[in-house]
Amino acid sequence: MSSVDNLSPHLLLVDDETAITANLAPFLERAGFSVNTARDGVQALEQITHLKPDLVILDVLMPRMDGRQVLRHLRQQGDWTPIILLTQVGEASERAMALEEGADDYINKPFDPRELVARIRSVLRRARPGQPPLAAAWKLVCGKLVFDRRARRVFLEERELALTPKAVALLEYLMTHPDELITRERLLETVWGWDYPVGTRTVDTRIAELRRELGDDAATPTYIETVPGEGYRFAGKVEGQA
Amino acid sequence: MKRWSWALLCVVPLACGGLLATAFWLEALPNRIAYLRADLGTLALLSGLLASGIAAGEGLRRLGEERRQRAFLQTLQTESIRERHEFLRRLDHELKNPLMGMRAGLANLTGTELNAPQREIIESVETQTLRLSRLLADLRKLAELEIRPLDCAPVDMNELLQDAAALTTERPEAEGRQIMLTLPQAPWPLPPVSGDRDLLFLLIHNLLDNALKFTAPGDKIELRAFEDGARVVVEVADTGAGIPEKDAQLVWNELYRGENARGVPGSGIGLALVRAIAERHNGEVFLRSRVGQGTVFTLRLPVYRK
Repeated sequence: MSSVDNLSPHLLLVDDETAITANLAPFLERAGFSVNTARDGVQALEQITHLKPDLVILDVLMPRMDGRQVLRHLRQQGDWTPIILLTQVGEASERAMALEEGADDYINKPFDPRELVARIRSVLRRARPGQPPLAAAWKLVCGKLVFDRRARRVFLEERELALTPKAVALLEYLMTHPDELITRERLLETVWGWDYPVGTRTVDTRIAELRRELGDDAATPTYIETVPGEGYRFAGKVEGQA
Repeated sequence: MKRWSWALLCVVPLACGGLLATAFWLEALPNRIAYLRADLGTLALLSGLLASGIAAGEGLRRLGEERRQRAFLQTLQTESIRERHEFLRRLDHELKNPLMGMRAGLANLTGTELNAPQREIIESVETQTLRLSRLLADLRKLAELEIRPLDCAPVDMNELLQDAAALTTERPEAEGRQIMLTLPQAPWPLPPVSGDRDLLFLLIHNLLDNALKFTAPGDKIELRAFEDGARVVVEVADTGAGIPEKDAQLVWNELYRGENARGVPGSGIGLALVRAIAERHNGEVFLRSRVGQGTVFTLRLPVYRK
């Protein structure tokens, strides 16, 4: 039985700012989760061992042991407890690193707490207990489409696609979040890192580029589905390979 | 014992920028009783060669000096960009946590029982918090822009400008404004420029957004472009309020709000971003304005070369 079927999934919220934990914890509880909090990385590791939460919301910049170190430590131990990183640094390279290091998702501070709830639900839905998340796989495969994340190259029927770096990052985000409705705003925030006002059109331009290269028909898509008025969804089934 | 002998010396002044002369030991020339015009010619030639050699040496020394100075200035500039970037990064870090705490607190409150006036207050605080978040995001963009690698590819300016114009026309703020787009067709359409499409789109959008802010219903906004062989020139012109002369250079500075801009929504980052994006693309942007008549922003970007 997956953890999402539990009546109230158990979360561990880790942040050194009490103004954040003291306000987010009751908010998350009201959204239907049971919540414990920790103030630094060392305390977080202790609590993860004892409480075995269904999901950890982990701040990056913390005293004693930072979020990245906690994440690395857990993954090296083979602990695949789902983790959402609360990233501080808005730069693209830092964001990409969050996924490569084995986080299930990340969200930039300051975020809308309602958005965090949506992310928690989708990570819990995707989680395969005890197994690495798709975000930690080096190769993503969907039928004839292969995404080599180490080389940042994409192949369709063994032919390499000529994609701009932004389109590659966009496809990566979609493939690591299959079957999940992702709004244009979220794509902007996570892939571009910029929530600029014209952004939604920018996203559409890149999606069109991806579809052209993938030979994907918007009306009957194999890979990228448009959810009218809302956003996009990666429709294919994605397998992760180490 | 050494015998003293006469030596014939001819001193020739050299024209190479400073007071320099050289002495030639005339006996180096084939032994002669009298020195012919040809010998003097040889001397003049040798002196000339020497003079130009020295001048070239001096020139190279100065060039080296200038290059060193330029490199020094460049280091200073890079240093100051880095320092500014570091400052904005720290500011970003330091403001994010308190802002997050405020947003979490507000979200927490909205889930509780509130009466109508309380809800109104919360909503207004929420709006201001969002505004602060946006300002912070804009400052970060500016800091990132100066150092982040560009996602460079040939960009079709025809398509980009059409797209930007269409988006502006659809906006509610555009109501009552006449927005026109003029693109060259003859003898050929605009060539592509090299750059990051998303950033260039943001640049044009910010200029159009600015034009919308400083015009009223009934005003005209023109987006037009042409090329001069080496560069694509884009202009955003409006018949709006215009920018007072004393503000014209300052509007490019981050957080600067001109006399006419008070009361107009915005963060004061838009034009600073425009300039930063143009400069990262080896382009330039400037403005001409007349108060009461309007403003023209001119952007020049190098044409894409394979």
